[in-house]
Amino acid sequence: MNRQKSSPRFRFVGAAALLVLLALLAPALREGDQRLYLLAGGVTGAMLLCMIIPARLFSLDRLILSLALYLGAVGIISLAPANPDAALIQLLRCSVGAVALMIGAMIIRIITPSMLTAGISSFLGLLLLAGSLLVSDLPFPFTEAALVLLIISFSSLLVCHGGTAAMIPGVIGTVLLLLQGMTVEAFVLALTVLLLLWSADGRLGIMLAAFVVFAGLFWGAAQLGYLPAFTLTEEHSLSLSTLVSAGLFGSGETVLLPETALPASSLIYPLSENYGLIFTGLTLLLYLPLMLRGASVAGTARSRFHAVMALGCVLIFSLRIPAALLAAFSVLPLPLTPLPLLTDSLPDLAVQMLTLGLLCGISSVNEANLAEDAHLAMLAK
Amino acid sequence: MFKVSPEIYKVINTASRYLFAFFALMLLLFALAWLYDERRKRRERLRYLPEAGNIGEMVVISGSDQLPADTWFPIPREGILGSLRSCDLVVPCPGVRARHLAFSWQDGAGLVIKPFSGCETIVDGISLMDAGKSETPVMVHGSCLQVGSAVLRLQLLSALEHTNRPFAAPAPSQEYTGAFTAQQPQPGMPFQQEPVLPFPDPQVPGYMDQPYPIDPPLSSDPAGDSSLPESVPDAAAASAAPAEQPPVQQAAPRRKRADRWKEDFSE
Repeated sequence: MNRQKSSPRFRFVGAAALLVLLALLAPALREGDQRLYLLAGGVTGAMLLCMIIPARLFSLDRLILSLALYLGAVGIISLAPANPDAALIQLLRCSVGAVALMIGAMIIRIITPSMLTAGISSFLGLLLLAGSLLVSDLPFPFTEAALVLLIISFSSLLVCHGGTAAMIPGVIGTVLLLLQGMTVEAFVLALTVLLLLWSADGRLGIMLAAFVVFAGLFWGAAQLGYLPAFTLTEEHSLSLSTLVSAGLFGSGETVLLPETALPASSLIYPLSENYGLIFTGLTLLLYLPLMLRGASVAGTARSRFHAVMALGCVLIFSLRIPAALLAAFSVLPLPLTPLPLLTDSLPDLAVQMLTLGLLCGISSVNEANLAEDAHLAMLAK
Repeated sequence: MFKVSPEIYKVINTASRYLFAFFALMLLLFALAWLYDERRKRRERLRYLPEAGNIGEMVVISGSDQLPADTWFPIPREGILGSLRSCDLVVPCPGVRARHLAFSWQDGAGLVIKPFSGCETIVDGISLMDAGKSETPVMVHGSCLQVGSAVLRLQLLSALEHTNRPFAAPAPSQEYTGAFTAQQPQPGMPFQQEPVLPFPDPQVPGYMDQPYPIDPPLSSDPAGDSSLPESVPDAAAASAAPAEQPPVQQAAPRRKRADRWKEDFSE
C-alpha cells in the first residue's frame, strides 16, 4: 500500500499550529493561568479554522493567508508570557485583522479601474493624511490606510490616464507625509510610486520627471527643516540592547519590558526577549515567502490594474521591513517603527491585513482566470 | 488550573527554547517549499495551457525587414503597442511610435483600441484620427489594424462570438454526391431517430418469447447494405481517367502558423 506523501501546505499548517500551541502552553504550565490555557486553545483553533474555512469559502490564497495568520499569532505569543491580558487583547485585534483580510479579498472583486475609483480613493487617502496633519492628537494612526488608498488611486489612474496623472496623488501624499515629519513613510511612498512607474509605464521621460519631482521634494523638506536629524540616539542603542539581551535562544525568564522610549506598538522586542534572536530572525525571514508570493501574484495578474495594485501592495508592505529592522538594530539612524503584522496598533494591523487580503483576492481572480482557460482548452479538445 | 513544579518547568522551558527555534526553522523551510511547490504546479499548468492569458494573435500581413509577414504575436487582455521593446506588442516598423496605442479586451465587444495623441491608426480602413471621440474603435475577429507601414490582422480565440461577418453554414458539395444517402442525416437536416423496440416486460407472462431488441448484424455484402453510399467510386472508372486524379502528394509541408489560424478559425 502506497503511503500518501503530505504536501508542504499541510506540513506548514500543522507545524504552525503546533508551535503556537506549545508556545502558549509552556507559560500556562508554569502559572496555571486560565487565560493562558484559553489562549492556547483559542488561538490555535481560530488559526486552523481561518486557514481552512475562509480560504475555501472565498478562494483565498492559502500561502498568504497562512503566513499572515501565523505572524499575527506570533504577536500574541510574544505578549502571552509576560502579560496574558495584553495577549487576549491582541487576539481580538488579530480577529479584526482577519475580518479585514476577508473584506480586502472581497473588495478587489468590486472595484474596477475608473475615474470614480481613482477620485474616491485619492480623496480619502489625502483627506486622512491632511487630517493627521491638521489634528495632531488623533487617537488612531491613519497613515497605513492612506498609503493603501493612494496605491489604489495610483493603479486606477495609471490604467485610465497614464503615468503622469497617476503620479499626482503620490506627490501630494509625499508632501503631506513630509510635512508631518514621517520621513520613512514618505520615502516608502515615493519609492513605491517610482518603482510602479518603472514597471508599469516604463517611459524614461516620465521616470526621470518623477525622480526629479520626488528628489526636489525631499531636498526642499531638508532645506525647510521638515526632515528630522538622522543621528543615532539613545533610543537606537536601547533598542539594540533590548534585542540582543536575551541571547540566541532567549533568557528563559519572563522579562517585563521597561517603560522606556521604545515604540510600545512594536512586538519585536518582547518576541526577542522571550524567545531569543534565532527564533526572532527565523520568524522575520517568513516575510520573504510572503513578499515572493505577492510578487508572483502581481506578475501573473491578467489585468494591468490588478498587477499594478498587487505590486503596489507588496512594495508598501515590504519596503517598511528593512527600514524597521535597520532602525531597530541601530544600523541606520531612522525613526523606530513597528514591523508589519508584529504591531499592537489596531488600525495598522487591520490595514496590513486588508492589504494582504487585496493580494489574496487578486490571486483568487488569477486562479479563476486560469481555471476558465483550462476549461476552454478542455472544450477545444 | 493545572501547573507543574518549578523544577519540571525549568526543564520544559530549557527544552522549549531550542524546540521553538527548531520549529521556526522548519516553518521557514516548509513555507519556502510550499512557495516552490505552488510555482512548479503553476508552471506545469501553464505548460499545458500555452494560450492562457491571451485572447488571440495578431498576424502580420505586411511589415518591414525586421517584422516579416506571417509573424504572429500573442495578444494579452490589455497592453501597449509600439516600437519600444518594453511594449506588450513590439512593432518595429517605420511610422510606429515608441508607444503608439493602448488596447484592452472587453468581453462581448472585442479589442478596444485607444491610440495615443498624434498616432495614426487605421482599423478596417477607417482612420481613428478622423473618427469621432464618441465612437469606440473595436477590433473583432479578422479585423485589420494599420499602424505606420505595418498591417496586422487580429485572430481571436473566441472567434465566432466576436466577428462582424455573417456566419453561413457551408453548403453541401455538389460534385461528390455519394457520401450521403437518403437514409443518412445530412448537414442541415433534422436528426431522425430510428424506432427502437421496447424491452420485454418481465412481469408479463411469456416475455421470453418476445423479440429482444438487438443490433442487426453487420452485413458482409456491400450491395445489400443500404447504409453504404450508393455510388461508390469505381476503381476501373478511376483508372480510365488518370488525368483527372489529383497529383499524389508526398509529405505535407509544415504549415505556417497563420495558415493554421485560418483553418482553425475560418468563418
